[in-house]
Amino acid sequence: MTELTLRGVSVSLGHGDARTPVLRAVDAVCAPGVLTALVGPSGSGKSTLLAVAGALLRPDEGRVLLGDTDLAALNDTERARTRRERIGYMFQSGNLLGGLTAVEQLLAAASVAGRPARRLRAAAESALAEVGLAHRLHHRADRLSGGERQRVALARALFLEPDLLLIDEPTAAVDRTQAAALTTLIATTARQRDCAALVATHDPVVVEAAGATVAM
Amino acid sequence: MYLALLELKAARGRFLLMGCVVLLVAALVGIVSGFTTGLGDDTVSALRRLPATHLACSPDAKSDQFARSLVPAGTLDRWRQQPGVRATPLGVSITRGTTDRHTEVDLAAFGVEPGSFLDPGAEDGRPLGGDGQLVISRKLADEGVRIGDTLTVDRLGIVLEVTGITARSSYGHVPAGYVTTATWQRIRFTTPGAATPAAELPQQYSAIALRSTGGARLADADQQFGTRTVTLDAAYAAAPGYTGERVTMTSIQFFLYLIAPLVVGAFFGVWTVQRQPELALLRAMGASRRRLLGHTLTQAAAVVLGGTLAGAALASAVGLLVGTEVPFSLPAPALTATMGTVALAALAGAALTLRRVAKADPMTMLGAGR
Repeated sequence: MTELTLRGVSVSLGHGDARTPVLRAVDAVCAPGVLTALVGPSGSGKSTLLAVAGALLRPDEGRVLLGDTDLAALNDTERARTRRERIGYMFQSGNLLGGLTAVEQLLAAASVAGRPARRLRAAAESALAEVGLAHRLHHRADRLSGGERQRVALARALFLEPDLLLIDEPTAAVDRTQAAALTTLIATTARQRDCAALVATHDPVVVEAAGATVAM
Repeated sequence: MYLALLELKAARGRFLLMGCVVLLVAALVGIVSGFTTGLGDDTVSALRRLPATHLACSPDAKSDQFARSLVPAGTLDRWRQQPGVRATPLGVSITRGTTDRHTEVDLAAFGVEPGSFLDPGAEDGRPLGGDGQLVISRKLADEGVRIGDTLTVDRLGIVLEVTGITARSSYGHVPAGYVTTATWQRIRFTTPGAATPAAELPQQYSAIALRSTGGARLADADQQFGTRTVTLDAAYAAAPGYTGERVTMTSIQFFLYLIAPLVVGAFFGVWTVQRQPELALLRAMGASRRRLLGHTLTQAAAVVLGGTLAGAALASAVGLLVGTEVPFSLPAPALTATMGTVALAALAGAALTLRRVAKADPMTMLGAGR
């Protein structure tokens, strides 16, 4: 039951004279169990907001509260620890580690988080079965379809039971049918796990399935 | 660690290929090292076995001393009176002969005084007892010469009786044999076809072997006696081909030690560039820089150590195969030191790529970073 709250978040990117404001005093709330859609035109700062929410980028101003923790106040080491222990990511592309099987993708995440990966194999297989990939457990990433790769990424993002799920354009590389199924799966899983989920998207299918919207 | 092993398994073809390259470099370094030591032994082992600290040669013999240097018997007497040193004559000549069983051999004849500190004794048979006797190196025994054989020096007709066998030693790739200084003088100074009486042969030696017992003023004695004293180690350079062989083989080894880190560094450099998106993903997932560096070093260590161990085994196998035919010596300490150097050099090459690993940017995983 952890909420993500952004208060007065401002970010500028670039260096010197080329430094450009991308986010200006943004406020947003992402409630647990709800899929929140982050919408806006290209260049509006959706991905930057995801980076700030995901402790990948420290804002110039403002607070980023994950529960009681202000991510904006953490140093690099603490932000890395927060990412591996409390946040699950699903990126638009390049989500999977080449050469590893679907199960190994999840075990790799466990290894990064310092969990005993070898003992979590059964749990990883079960997590993949939950996203409909019981028949693809031992297929390598490059042998999976776009939709299957995104499902593996979702299973991996949720595998270590994060407080926050961050998703960047999940349906950009899949067809309409798969997009609808994937969106339903994400929304349902977030609700079942009572996990705050923030998704940056242009896709009306995703926006429609979301329980809340943040417009940029 | 687990992730590093997962990646190794996933990219086993590439890592195996790299391991094979390390294996070949390590094996080549090991083989070259074996030949360097083997050739060195084959060239100077008879000198190394001399229990002397210095050799006094004639001052005009600045290279190839044992062929050029001649020191008169009078100088030997003066050295013998010098306090702080023990002195004994040494003659060195390469010749060839044929045994009474028609075995043709090359022989590095070392003229020594029986009972002196240069007398090699005998492991089998009798030690050197008098003129006309020959104590051969084990290497000559391996070539078929036996105790009791007589060996006739080619062209000179000097007949030597093989009385004993001493430890394996050679000089200038020729097996050593020990004779008295008088016999050596016959071999060295007799003109083929001429019957020169022993009394008319020059009373000279190749050098005077010295055993310094401390406090000897060798430079002063040199000036006084008209000799040039060199340490035994420095005298190795006088052996035929020794310096050239050492420089050649050491140069090859040196370049192989340079090649190892470059090859491994290039492989891990390309590997790291290819993996930048995956490294960025791992960073985004919360992997620390230290973990990624450890991860890369683990992979490098697995490839380098695996390749080096296999290379060591290959070099040893080559040594076993060719060691009886050619001079090859790769004892365990030398093999360990050589392989350790290869492994360290290769790991240093891999370490050159670590900066790029540490710089992987997790922001590139998001649209904001693209």
